[in-house]
Amino acid sequence: MIEVTNLHKRFGAVTAVEDVSFRAEDGVVTGLLGPNGAGKTTTLRMLYTLIRPDRGSAKIDGLEVAERPLEVRRSIGVLPDARGLYPRLTAREHVRYAGALHGLSGATLDKRIDELVELLEMKDIADRRTEGFSQGERMKVALARALVHGPRNVLLDEPTNGLDVMSTRAVRTLIRRLREQGHCVVFSSHVMQEVGALCDRIVVVARGRVVADGTPDELRARTGKDSLEEAFVTVIGSDQGLMQ
Amino acid sequence: MRALLTAVFRKEMTDHLRDRRSILSVVGGALVGPLVFAVMFSVVASWNRQDKPVELPVVGRAHAPSLMAYLERTGVKLSDAPLDYESRIQAGTVDAVLIIPEDYGKDFAAGHAAKVQLVVDNSRTKARATIKRVQAVLGQYSGTLGTQRLLARGVSPELAMPVRVEEVDLATPERLAASILNMIPLFLVIACFMGGLNVAIDTMAGERERGSLEPLLLNPVQRGTLVVGKWLATTAFACTMVVVVTAVFVAVAKRVPLQDLGVKVSLDVTTALGMMAAVLPLALLASAVQMLVATFARSYKEAQTYLQLLMMVPMVPGMVLALSPIQSQSWMYGVPVLGQELLVSELMRGEPLGVLPFVLGTVSCLALTAALLAVTARMLGDERIVFGRS
Repeated sequence: MIEVTNLHKRFGAVTAVEDVSFRAEDGVVTGLLGPNGAGKTTTLRMLYTLIRPDRGSAKIDGLEVAERPLEVRRSIGVLPDARGLYPRLTAREHVRYAGALHGLSGATLDKRIDELVELLEMKDIADRRTEGFSQGERMKVALARALVHGPRNVLLDEPTNGLDVMSTRAVRTLIRRLREQGHCVVFSSHVMQEVGALCDRIVVVARGRVVADGTPDELRARTGKDSLEEAFVTVIGSDQGLMQ
Repeated sequence: MRALLTAVFRKEMTDHLRDRRSILSVVGGALVGPLVFAVMFSVVASWNRQDKPVELPVVGRAHAPSLMAYLERTGVKLSDAPLDYESRIQAGTVDAVLIIPEDYGKDFAAGHAAKVQLVVDNSRTKARATIKRVQAVLGQYSGTLGTQRLLARGVSPELAMPVRVEEVDLATPERLAASILNMIPLFLVIACFMGGLNVAIDTMAGERERGSLEPLLLNPVQRGTLVVGKWLATTAFACTMVVVVTAVFVAVAKRVPLQDLGVKVSLDVTTALGMMAAVLPLALLASAVQMLVATFARSYKEAQTYLQLLMMVPMVPGMVLALSPIQSQSWMYGVPVLGQELLVSELMRGEPLGVLPFVLGTVSCLALTAALLAVTARMLGDERIVFGRS
C-alpha cells in the first residue's frame, strides 16, 4: 500500500511537484494520469527513493521512503523512466543480476527466473543477448527485472510507451494479473485510453498538483461528461498533452 | 554485503570480457611500448656492436708490414681488397678500403710523411662507425711513431702537439640505451591508466547513457557496494594490463642485446616482481580516479575526453625522468605516479631500496583510492548526477 501526502519537489527555479497526495490500495490498479511535464515521473522517482522530497511524506507499506530507502526498495518493483539494458548480456542474465542484487541465489533464483520467463512469454529470447531487441522485447526484460523479487508494490512509469499493439496487450494482461494476486499497482501514463482501460482508480495530475482523484465513474459523474476524455479535459483545464 | 559485491563484480567482468573489440584495442595499445623498446634497442645495438671486428680490405698489404701487424694487433681483420672496391663501397657491401702505395716503404724509411689512402663513402651512415675506428687506429699508429721519432732525437713530443683535443661524447651508446630504458617506468604507469579506461567509462558514464543506471540504483544495495564492485572490475583490467606489459618487457629484454651496449640493467624475474609490486597500487588508484571522472562527466563522450586528458598527467614526470634523471628523496615515493616511476627505474638499475619506498607508494595510493571511491559513492546519491544535469 502506498500513501502520499503533500509531496513537494523543486529543481532550482523549476517546481516539478507542487502538492501531490493520493493513496494506492493493495489489489487495486491506480493510474497517474497527466500531460507531459505534469510531475508524474518526479512523483514516482520520489516514491522509488531516487529523489528526496523537499516536503511531504511518502509511505510504502508504512515505511517512509526518505528514511528507509533500502527497505522500501525491497518492497517495490519498479519499471523506471530509464529502462536501459546491457547489450552484451542475455535477457536471463539481466534478471539474474537483479535477483542477485536482491539477495536471491541458487535454485530459488533459477525457479523465479523460469516463472517470469513463462509469465512474460519470453522463452525464445531468454538466452539471447539483448543487443538488437525490439521495444516490446526490451520491455519484457525490464519488467522481468523489476519483478524478480516478487514485490508487493509495483510502480510502472509509462509502461506502454512506444509499444506495438501486441506488446501493449501483454503489459495490460500482466497488470491485471498483478491486481488479481493482490499487488498494489501504480502506473503513470499520458494516454487517457490506457488509463481508462486498466485503472480502478485514477489520479489526475496537472502542473504538479492532483486535480482529480476517483474511479472512472466518479470522474464522469463529477464533471458531468459522458466520455472520459471530456472529463479529463475538463479537470486539467486544457487538452494539451492528452492526445497521442 | 559480500554476496552483493560479488554479484556486481561478476556482472561487470562478464559484460566487459565479452567486449572483445575494446579488449583487443587496449591490449594492442599496451604492447606498443615494449615493441617500440625492442625495435629502438635492436637498432641502436646494431649500430654500435662492440664485439664485432672491423673488417678492412687493403690494397698493397706487402708494402707496409709493420702497419699491417699493428692493425691486426688492435683487432682489425685485414683482407685483400677486391678489384672493384670502389663500386662495392658505393653499393654498401664494403665500408672502407685502405690503399698503401708502392713508395710507402721508401718514404717511411726516409722520414717523410708516408702517404696511405682510405677510400670511403661519407654519405653512408652505417659505414661511419667503421670509418671512425679505422681512422682512429691509423691516427694512433702515426702518433706513436711520431712520438718515438721525437724521443729518439731528444725532443719532447709535447712540443709537436700544441693543442690536444679530447673528445667527450655525451651521446655514447650507453647513454642512449639508458634513456630508452628510462621509458619503461613511463610505459608501466601508462598501462595502469589504459587497462581499465574503457571499463571505467562504460561502467559509469555508459551505464547512465544507456539508461541502466536508474534500474541498477533501484536495487536494495548501498551505493558504496555498487561503486566498489565496479571499481574491482575496472582495476582487475588495469592490473592485468600492468602484469602483461611487465611480462612482455621482460621477454623483450631477454632477446634484446643489452650487453652489447654495455648497459648494466637487471630485468630478470625478481626485478619484474618488484616492478609489479611497485606499480600495482597505482593501478588501483588510476581506476578509482577514472571512475570518479566517468561518474562526474555528463556523457560517454565527455568522460572519454576528460580521461584522455588525464592520461597526459602521468606522462609529465615520466618524460622529465626519462630525459634527466633526478636524485630521489623519500617524500617523492609518496607522490603517486612520480613515486612509481622512481621505484621502477631504481629497481632496474639494481639499486638497493629497502621496504620504505614501497610502503610509502602503496599507502599513499590506497588512501587516495579509498577517498575517491567514497566521493564517487556519494555522487551516486546525488539526483543531479543520476538524472543528468543541463
